[in-house]
Amino acid sequence: MAQSILDLLKERKILLDGGFGTELIKDGFPQGTCPESWNEEKPNIVQKIHKSYYDAGSDAVLTNSFGGTTIKLQSHNLEKRCYDLNRTAAAIANEVKPEGKFLGGSMGPTGKFLKPHGEFSEAQFEDAYAEQARGLTDGQVDFLLIETQYDLNEALCALRGARKASDLPIFVTMTFNHHPKGFFTLMGNTVGQFLETMEKEGVSVVGSNCTLNSEEMVELVRIMREKTSLPIIAQANAGKPSLSEEGEVAYSQGMEDYLRFIPQIITNGADIIGGCCGTDPDYIALMSEIVKRSS
Amino acid sequence: MSNEEFLNMVRKAIVEGNKDEAEQLAQQTIAEKMDLKEVIDKGYIPGIQKVGQLWEEGEYFLPELIMSAECMKAAMEIMQPELEKAQIAMRSAGTIVIGTVEGDIHDIGKNLVASILSANGFDVVDLGADVKLEKFIAKAEEVNADLICLSALLTTTMTGQKKFIERLKEKGIYGRFKVMVGGAPVNQKWADDIDADGYSENALTAVGAAKKLVEK
Repeated sequence: MAQSILDLLKERKILLDGGFGTELIKDGFPQGTCPESWNEEKPNIVQKIHKSYYDAGSDAVLTNSFGGTTIKLQSHNLEKRCYDLNRTAAAIANEVKPEGKFLGGSMGPTGKFLKPHGEFSEAQFEDAYAEQARGLTDGQVDFLLIETQYDLNEALCALRGARKASDLPIFVTMTFNHHPKGFFTLMGNTVGQFLETMEKEGVSVVGSNCTLNSEEMVELVRIMREKTSLPIIAQANAGKPSLSEEGEVAYSQGMEDYLRFIPQIITNGADIIGGCCGTDPDYIALMSEIVKRSS
Repeated sequence: MSNEEFLNMVRKAIVEGNKDEAEQLAQQTIAEKMDLKEVIDKGYIPGIQKVGQLWEEGEYFLPELIMSAECMKAAMEIMQPELEKAQIAMRSAGTIVIGTVEGDIHDIGKNLVASILSANGFDVVDLGADVKLEKFIAKAEEVNADLICLSALLTTTMTGQKKFIERLKEKGIYGRFKVMVGGAPVNQKWADDIDADGYSENALTAVGAAKKLVEK
């Protein structure tokens, strides 16, 4: 049997991919439409992006399914296509996956709130994630990544939903904001609450992505490593985006500054490194060198 | 119980996000024929302001803000018919049309801004997410809005904010409504670049910014 990503993790650091949405936009993805629909409409473009990350040195890339829960797809009236869009996301990515590399199923937040802050019940959230996990699993991803979560309760619903539909290893990342009083999610969950809960649930890998730049991620990884012995994922943003009047997007941190902090993120205890908003295959190629040196 | 003790309870109900209590105190205000305007101005409004302060200090997070804004809304709904009966015109802080621009389905931030503005005495018309630019204009004209608030989460959709202001200029109605922009990738520079009247980083600074813009 082929080596699993968890086996590889015991041997060395692992590199994920970088930003996906921005790459889609470079290839003409129009605003306001549903990114997951391109798995069917423009699979060659989605595959080209995956391939560019594998070529840059990613050990694993994530499917184009970040907004693929039934609840999120409902915004585009595509909730009934959830299973197919996710299954296809996995199938087309598998077609370009080199031997010995891995594919993760991306599962982003619903964008809605649970009661009493929102309209949805926990059962509804679980179902929304379960349907997505079923599609990704049947499309044969190697693991599931529940990512960019800002509400610990939603992350738990995602986890339960995914487990109903899949036996694959599940990784969970949450997004923290840097407050004067420390790191908190949008809903006020602490790093400690997150890690303790995930350990209790028996999650294989935990971590954080998005919002923080690589300098802030250095400190968050240090805090996470103090609190858990589980493998840690760290995917920082390249700072904050800004748009010029001419419509050019630039990220505040810049590549050189971003990369400067990657060795420290690894030293502080990250086992799986990747990019997030503002990073592209060029970033990943250079991160690949850093990861190789540190393993 | 003294008047001050009662007002304290009102403020506490809002700060703690206790909806039952906030509603019950609103009913009691009516039943005991208390001064509605005083209870609102010295109880409910300072309560929601305290919530804002706790949020800024990093004590409160999004759930607390949502719950307190909900309490405020529930209490005001109870008192509104009485205010009308007593012909007390609670001076509206202004009329605002708000929404997330077309092509953008993200509404968490926008919803929070809408409810905090509403809790602070604005009449808020929320058009939802993925709203056509024309719809903002039509609704603002219909309700004679003071301020239009445009939200965008993505660098691809924040261009809608720029287009909107261009549209106002084309129609010769730029300046008729104040325009405030917001959203994660939006900043003051962007607001200045596109000739928006205002920008706010979050739901609480939006209150002060909106008040200033409406007064102008």
